[in-house]
Amino acid sequence: MRLKLIACEILYRELCASLARSPHQIDVEFLPKGLHDIGGAGMRDRLQAVVDRVDESLYSAVLLGYALCGMGLAGLTARGIPLVLPRGHDCITLFLGSRERYMEYFTGNPGVYFKTTGWIERGKDLDQLGPDSFYRKTGLGLTYEEMVEKYGEENAQYLWDQIGGYTRNYGKLTFIEMGVEPDDRFERHTEREAVERGMGYQKITGDMRLIHRLVNGEWNDEFLVVPPGCRVAASHDDGVIRSEKSS
Amino acid sequence: MADLKKLYDAILNGDQKTAIAVTEAALAEKVDPQSLINEAMIPAMNEAGSKFECEEYFVPELLLAARAMKGSLALIRPLLAAAGAEPVGRVIIGTVKGDLHDIGKNLVASMLEGGGFEVIDLGADVAVDKFVAAVKERNPHLICMSALLTVTMPAMKTTIQALREAGVRENVKVMVGGAPVTAEYASEIGADGYADNASAAVRKARELVAA
Repeated sequence: MRLKLIACEILYRELCASLARSPHQIDVEFLPKGLHDIGGAGMRDRLQAVVDRVDESLYSAVLLGYALCGMGLAGLTARGIPLVLPRGHDCITLFLGSRERYMEYFTGNPGVYFKTTGWIERGKDLDQLGPDSFYRKTGLGLTYEEMVEKYGEENAQYLWDQIGGYTRNYGKLTFIEMGVEPDDRFERHTEREAVERGMGYQKITGDMRLIHRLVNGEWNDEFLVVPPGCRVAASHDDGVIRSEKSS
Repeated sequence: MADLKKLYDAILNGDQKTAIAVTEAALAEKVDPQSLINEAMIPAMNEAGSKFECEEYFVPELLLAARAMKGSLALIRPLLAAAGAEPVGRVIIGTVKGDLHDIGKNLVASMLEGGGFEVIDLGADVAVDKFVAAVKERNPHLICMSALLTVTMPAMKTTIQALREAGVRENVKVMVGGAPVTAEYASEIGADGYADNASAAVRKARELVAA
């Protein structure tokens, strides 16, 4: 099959490694990481524009290197060829290899923040989203220093206490090793950051199985195939997403 | 003569010191506290909310306005209570089990307080049982739940079910919010209301409490 893959660059190394061995011919387009941060509707519109640009005469399906991503995929519509995406809340499902493993780790580790090569090296935080960023647009992304400058010391202290630093309640950084890293630089980077921020640190081994299945065309019930004329919807159950007729 | 315009401006500009000073002066002049609220403070908060919804104000400006409002209210409330006036309503608020993202919740809590509600903040990662116990003990008019992750959203549904099983669902209105939450989801899980920003949340809360 010839397939088109539209993916978040957070999966860059993993997808490239997997694509190299796919039995199919796959053209890939990576989009900036962190699109969920522009809000569900904004992310969906951006993805839809990319999906709509695909020359459907060339491909059997469009693969999506995404999950539900904070409702960013909800409403995404398949035009003339199917859309295929893994069932999951976000990319951590793809890194850990299954929804079950993600839920188990998430439940057992409250306040965990995950790091992978893509999160660390692709783009600088979410600056690449520019003025569309939710944090930028609402003023929630300000640093303490920026708050002091804009609102004065006394106000800044109050504001920081209320809304400062969206990761402030996280207690642990977990590095997911996927087996595509050149050496231990990303792991060390995460560990160093954990120490600097007074957070716990853990390294766990990821699982490439969902990523392989996506690019190998092994779309079992861990994937949603959205037929032409239908769109992605949140199912709010264990299946995470479903397809529905596009109105 | 009380300077209502000065109080209005102080709240709108998030200047708590001035808001408190003007309120103190007005109360010393025996101005009717209810008229301060109705003629200066609530209009100022409404204007701040509308600036926020037009993206003229950011979250920090909105929070500072709410804090100035709270500063004035703290002076006025004892007088109102002595006269037998009640807060607009009592609200219990928290982020759901497993969700540690509390910035939006803090903003809504602050805006509700600024809007004259008595707010009991249960914090972040609030277990279902804790919501139920708080409803039983504090007898609120409204409970507000938020989630930032679709992973944790189902806890809203579980909490509503638990309220039903505990026999207290009918005693309280339920409002939900958070980035991935939608009005459709709110109605699907049997919540009474949904708001997609902090200013709209105050309007919705007033509506639900009055219903």
